Amino acid sequence: MPQQLSSKDASLFRQVVRHYETKQHKKGIKAADQILRKNPNHGDTLAMKALIISNQGQQEDAFVLAKEALKNDMKSHVCWHVYGLLYRADKNYEEAIKAYRFALRIEPDSQPIQRDLALLQMQMRDFKGYINSRSAMLQARPAFRQNWTALAIAHHLAGDLEEAEKVLTTYEETLKTPPPVADMEHSEAVLYKNTILSEAGKVDKALEHLEKVGHRATDVLAVMEMKADYLLRLDRKEEAEAAYTDLLERNPENSIYYDALIRAKGISEDDHKALKAVYDSWANKYPRGDAARRIPLDFLEGEDFKQAVDAYLQRMLKKGVPSLFANIKTLYANSAKRDTVQELVEGYTSGKVQNGEANGDQNEFLSSTYYFLAQHYNYYLSRNLSKAMESVEKALELDPKAVEYQMTKARIWKHYGNVQKAAEEMEKARTLDAKDRHINSKAAKYQLRNSENNKALDNMSKFTRNETVGGALGDLHEMQCVWYLTEDGESYLRQRKLGLALKRLHAVYHIFDVWQEDQFDFHGFSLRKGMIRAYVDMIRWEDRLREHPFYTRAALAGIKAYIQLHEDPDLVHGPMPAGTSREDDTGEDSERRKAIKKAKKEQQRLEKVEAEKREARKTATAVKGLDGEVKKEDADPFGTKLVQTPDPLNEATKILTPILEHSPQNIEGQLLGFEVYLRQNKLALAQKCLSAAHTLNASNPTVHVQTLRLRKALDNPREPLTPEVSESVNAELEKLLPKSQNLDEWNKNFLSVHKDSFSHIQAALASRQLINPDSKAQNENDLATALGSNDASIESALAGRELLNEWRSEQATKQAYAEKAKGKWPESSVFDLE
Amino acid sequence: MVDIVPLSSYPSYIDLLPGIQTCNITNLPENYFLKYYLYHALTWPQLSFVAVVRPKNGYTQNTGRQAGGKPGSGDLSGQYPKVVGYVLAKMEEEPTDGLQHGHITSISVMRTHRRLGIAERLMRMSQRAMAECYRANYVSLHVRVSNNAALRLYRDTLGFQVENIESKYYADGEDAYAMRMDLSPMWVDWSAIEKADREREQKENGEAADEGDEVGDLGKKDAEKMVKVKMGRALGVGDLVEKNESQA
Repeated sequence: MPQQLSSKDASLFRQVVRHYETKQHKKGIKAADQILRKNPNHGDTLAMKALIISNQGQQEDAFVLAKEALKNDMKSHVCWHVYGLLYRADKNYEEAIKAYRFALRIEPDSQPIQRDLALLQMQMRDFKGYINSRSAMLQARPAFRQNWTALAIAHHLAGDLEEAEKVLTTYEETLKTPPPVADMEHSEAVLYKNTILSEAGKVDKALEHLEKVGHRATDVLAVMEMKADYLLRLDRKEEAEAAYTDLLERNPENSIYYDALIRAKGISEDDHKALKAVYDSWANKYPRGDAARRIPLDFLEGEDFKQAVDAYLQRMLKKGVPSLFANIKTLYANSAKRDTVQELVEGYTSGKVQNGEANGDQNEFLSSTYYFLAQHYNYYLSRNLSKAMESVEKALELDPKAVEYQMTKARIWKHYGNVQKAAEEMEKARTLDAKDRHINSKAAKYQLRNSENNKALDNMSKFTRNETVGGALGDLHEMQCVWYLTEDGESYLRQRKLGLALKRLHAVYHIFDVWQEDQFDFHGFSLRKGMIRAYVDMIRWEDRLREHPFYTRAALAGIKAYIQLHEDPDLVHGPMPAGTSREDDTGEDSERRKAIKKAKKEQQRLEKVEAEKREARKTATAVKGLDGEVKKEDADPFGTKLVQTPDPLNEATKILTPILEHSPQNIEGQLLGFEVYLRQNKLALAQKCLSAAHTLNASNPTVHVQTLRLRKALDNPREPLTPEVSESVNAELEKLLPKSQNLDEWNKNFLSVHKDSFSHIQAALASRQLINPDSKAQNENDLATALGSNDASIESALAGRELLNEWRSEQATKQAYAEKAKGKWPESSVFDLE
Repeated sequence: MVDIVPLSSYPSYIDLLPGIQTCNITNLPENYFLKYYLYHALTWPQLSFVAVVRPKNGYTQNTGRQAGGKPGSGDLSGQYPKVVGYVLAKMEEEPTDGLQHGHITSISVMRTHRRLGIAERLMRMSQRAMAECYRANYVSLHVRVSNNAALRLYRDTLGFQVENIESKYYADGEDAYAMRMDLSPMWVDWSAIEKADREREQKENGEAADEGDEVGDLGKKDAEKMVKVKMGRALGVGDLVEKNESQA
């Protein structure tokens, strides 16, 4: 039994609840305090007060109060409900569910408690619980369509499509007359039912249903798409052709429609003539479109290709379409096409233009052509950087203010391996159009690649709301600017400033947490809105959220940072020279001691600068967030806490797990997974990663080295392995590298197979070093020789330099290697010594 | 090659949301939380569209994550082609003039993909959906007075008209043209659909003609009364109110 209040206080209590609902928190607290003066132990009032102050952001005090409330009145559903709400606000969903359950046991008919429980069950994907909750809610209020739809969703997501369909049909049958077309909730529910039918594989039934009800659905495009899709799947070709024709008439810029149309028409892939005729008819019909002109270039060959691509190129060059090259480069996988394009466009520069005089500005045509050539010779399949530079200079001569041309110049420098020149040229491009954020973003990105983090942020600040807490960087966090945070983190990682690197990368992981959390409000909202198909798609997307390449990229960088930190704990102080370790520490004056000292000093300097910046911000603006709530400055702006973790490898596994779960096809994830697990002596997990990587690409050079490392770890484990692990890992590894295999021979064989690839040579040398540590001098020699091979690229040369660090090679050896690389790529800056 | 696809209708390309957000913050100073994009995608799923670069080898078919996926229409779930443009659109929730109308919250196309007509295509798709799905009377938008390229597109190509100038609309102090365009010519005749259905039903049921007519007329009046689409009720979703469209 809840504690009784006098009638005056009871009415006050109702006011408290009302104030809470209308978010009049101060009034709510005042009324609650008034009750508590006479009834200091009144559980429900204490609980309501806790709820209000939790909403004001005082989470800790709220919990204290809510516990006191419960102590006073264990049998109050209000107290338990509030307790659950506080846990919910804390994102401790499991405890929240427990509390709601207690509340519901006391008050089984409470709709609000039932509803809050259901929302959490959905968030937690407890479908069984959700079905129960939604069934109870339906029973309580069967007149509400939402309740039927919700139960259908519950069954649908739990995988019971039959039951989901049945629930929807049951409700439909209660409708005496069809609701008007304007009833969006109905319209969406009908289409939702249709997608369930199709998902259950009953495509024919779905089509039949759609034909009966689809004309009343307001989402006209969706109905057309569904119908076309079903018809094609049912092989009803003529009708499918008509359906895709309708779709193309709405939107001729969707290659998926053309693919489907061709299938429906039953035109063979080899019948280029017939295919071309189809595309030509659409190009004639929509002369301003691109798709119908561009797609035939994919399948046409020889003279036909030449004619078509010639017309295409000239048309686009005359229009000065900046994305022309991006649109063409995918053809270069076919080298004959690549050569044809090159020949044609080179011809344009010497006046070989068909159709007589270009009616536009001849200058613009010519500058567009040089711009195209610059990109062409900058592309990896047709690279000739000096020609690229020559072309871009000519383009710029004709049009010195063209931002795109200047951007390409910067990209050419990037491919020269000169990040400094690249950043400078991109900055020039930025000043050509200072009001454009796109070029501003690119300039900042190139500065980050050149380790100019402050300059980059300064550029970014020209487009951020700098009055945000934390200034420009604060705004980039708040607006979830993932690309910048990732680039900045990677930049710090390259500089071996791991605190800041981890700081930025963790900001990205946090954004993904926020995105996951974002769905919560929609569990209720979407039911009210009735847009069920979009809601269900959203739920499924959330379930694979961290499959997104944005996550993978940031996570891979974070794992690398943690591995480095594990390898060299002194990195906690700041950047340490690569290729040395604590063991090299020889005394008070060692390089390492000096580096630590220097890093600590730098850290102090940064802290001072940051403190000054904050002081300036504080006086400049009142610090308030968007919603008026006070936001605090970051307590750990340099990631010091992150980098001080006692167990970097364990931290690494936390960000690794989503990659292995959602993106197992990402070979880099598997390779880094191996690195983490091997260092943790978790050989079974390391083996799993290795086997997965091997399946993805058996001839990957890193797979070769890792196979050897696992063999050695297994033969000489750092800590004893359980017989089960030892046996299972052995059995798997036996397939890749049998125990009986002579390692030298195995490695030699690998080298002879891949003798023309610099990356594979590196793998073989790394392996030889592991098999025979005395071979170091020879390995260093062979590495330097291989650097001279044609296959060596700037990227693989940088990887080779890392190898020297791993081997702890002498400074002189490293310098000789860098000089040789610099000789090979004289324009580069990346081999310059720091 | 660039494909124009719906954001969150059928098939759903909702996986592209982070890419859309990146496209926006790369190009424009007016930025939003992902939740605000989600709010658009889940409230008016028919109105927003995305421009993506077709992957080199086409879209890989759905690998069967969901039983009976959507093989015909190139389901993009779990694929992440590059987003080079988007239009984020909505219906005005509380129209001050009482007229149902659409609004372009944000539209942008990457600088590297301009002059291909992508923005025009995105706009046309969204406008048509506003008219068909919601009977929007018109669509409104704001554009910087200095943005000539956009102004040409809206006014000359699409047929928008300048309503008025909103002083200091943008955070940096620049004025905006408030523009709008009539959408009623694209409306679908819902009452005709309802009438045709009633007549067909009567025929199928073989009821007496006069009785049928009467029911039909009554129904028609109802239908006209019902033409207004229910909107704006229970906006909810926490913070997703206009202020997040942060001009401030």
